[in-house]
Amino acid sequence: MAMVDASTVLRTEEPRRGRTWLRHVELAVPVTLLVLVLGGCFLWPVIGAVPAPVGGNVLDSNLPMFSPGHLLGTDPNGNDVWSRILYGGRNSLIVGVSVNLLGLLVGGTLGAVSAFLGGLTDTIIMRVLDVLIAFPSLVLVLAVAQSLGPSQLNTIFALAFFSVPAFARIARAATLSLRERPFMAAAALCGTKTRRMLFRHIAPNIAPQLITFSMLGMGVTIVIEGALSFLGLGIPAPAPSWGNMISEGQQSLSATPMLVVWPCVALFLTVLAFNLLGETLRSRWSDR
Amino acid sequence: MAEPLIATPAPGRGGALVTVLRSPSLRLVGRRLLLAVPIVLGVSILTFLVLSLIPGNAAQLLLGPEATPAQIAALNHQMGLDQPAVLRYLHWLGGALHGDLGKSLVSQQPVADELGSRLGVSGELVGLAFVFSLGAAIPLALLAARRPNKLIDRISMLVSITGLSVANYVFALLLVLLFAVQLTVFPAMGYVPLSQGAGANLQSMFLPSVAVAFPLFCLYTRFLRGDLVDQLQGEDYIVTARAKGIGPWQVLLRHAFRNSSFGLITVVGLNLGTLIGATVIIEQIFALPGIGQLLLQAINTRDYTVVQDCVVVFAIVAVLANLVTDLLYAVLDPRIRYGNG
Repeated sequence: MAMVDASTVLRTEEPRRGRTWLRHVELAVPVTLLVLVLGGCFLWPVIGAVPAPVGGNVLDSNLPMFSPGHLLGTDPNGNDVWSRILYGGRNSLIVGVSVNLLGLLVGGTLGAVSAFLGGLTDTIIMRVLDVLIAFPSLVLVLAVAQSLGPSQLNTIFALAFFSVPAFARIARAATLSLRERPFMAAAALCGTKTRRMLFRHIAPNIAPQLITFSMLGMGVTIVIEGALSFLGLGIPAPAPSWGNMISEGQQSLSATPMLVVWPCVALFLTVLAFNLLGETLRSRWSDR
Repeated sequence: MAEPLIATPAPGRGGALVTVLRSPSLRLVGRRLLLAVPIVLGVSILTFLVLSLIPGNAAQLLLGPEATPAQIAALNHQMGLDQPAVLRYLHWLGGALHGDLGKSLVSQQPVADELGSRLGVSGELVGLAFVFSLGAAIPLALLAARRPNKLIDRISMLVSITGLSVANYVFALLLVLLFAVQLTVFPAMGYVPLSQGAGANLQSMFLPSVAVAFPLFCLYTRFLRGDLVDQLQGEDYIVTARAKGIGPWQVLLRHAFRNSSFGLITVVGLNLGTLIGATVIIEQIFALPGIGQLLLQAINTRDYTVVQDCVVVFAIVAVLANLVTDLLYAVLDPRIRYGNG
């Protein structure tokens, strides 16, 4: 036992030594990227002058990069590519945040309540979620998107269908291990009410895991939102979204490859930022 | 279904059927199969529910916007769509349990035939993707874990975290742009069946399977490297092996990797279930006649029977993948094989 203890101590101390600068970089890089992406998508169109993302003049179609007034040129419809990327990013980010917020709140509550109450409630909730998880998620998303018609709100609902069970699973596992801890027994002995137990004792303790997961979930959601738009089931065509920009650009891939490359770069950088942030948070919170 | 499973868990061991029947791995299989039944049933019911909630039906879409309500009603009646959903579900379930997956509402062909050929294409895609991803990830992870935090390790971790942030359709398009448009070494789309030569078939499947494989490769490298490093740094049996004077590569391959492979198998098994999502979009980009493409078409034409069958096939594949994972544990891990694990 003593040997194991020594080795675990060694393992946790080794990465800390001499690498403090790396720990700052780990956090600074994704945060900077996110600030740039969020600022670009939500603030730039407000403060800087950006052409409208739709309703461009066909006479201006397929302008090259750095054309006057069009930083990244224009697409076949004469719309400014840079502006479409910024407005498209808005759509992607709104979908990502809403889906993960829904998952975090609904799924997190379901999972925590399910694990805390146990018994029949737990069995029923978890069986239903098992079916949802075994159900090919893309099928569900496609079906919901098809039935409700492509729009931003429906995309959010469709994607929430499978973010909820994922969050519920994690919340449940975290709550189950929490239940065995002495402070929970102490709280129960004090006669704490169920609601207070859930909000004051369980919620703050499972929050780090759920927030970490939602960072990784943001990346996944933005990618899937892009896939839906790519298949023509996401945000409908004239409005910009990274997915439908990639899909439209694919049709003239050999002639104007940059129309595909720019939204791909935007998608990649955003997803990378969320993934890096999630990784950093995970390693920090699991160190404690 | 039952016969091959009895033989697999303990090949050549025990011999008598009784010992095999008592084997813990077989009980595990039995339990998993029983658990799988309600899940597959639940998935099929849910699919039916979702499909009956979608507005617009196959008859309407087949006849086009100019069809009169009477024509639609007649075709609905002919296809049996005017019956209540519960009856239709039971009818489908009865058929499926007897091995009859029904006929496509649109093409009127038996779904089973279509599924068979398309399952082959998707199977090849996923199979090749696993070969590529594991074939690249295992050596790289071993190299990286050999010297943690050194150059190869840093590069491999950078590649994998970056790669995990690339959407598979983005990666697929970049592949097309580079290898099909610029270099023209591989076709941009289309499928050449195996009957027209293995070389041509592989050439048409190469880009799609690499596109599916790349995110998996990143995931596996990352996972295996982490697990190997944990094993090497924390486990007593590694200390023992090193104390015996076994060389570093031997320790890595024979000791650490063997233990890490369990985790890897779990991840691979779980992936198999989610890969279906990847195949839908990759098959769409490369115009491959796989099951994902069939599903997308079927959803677009409201071809309920086909969607229902596809989804159930996906669910069964996911459940079977989990089952095979459990069986592989039993084969690889003596503690489970002998029933005291």
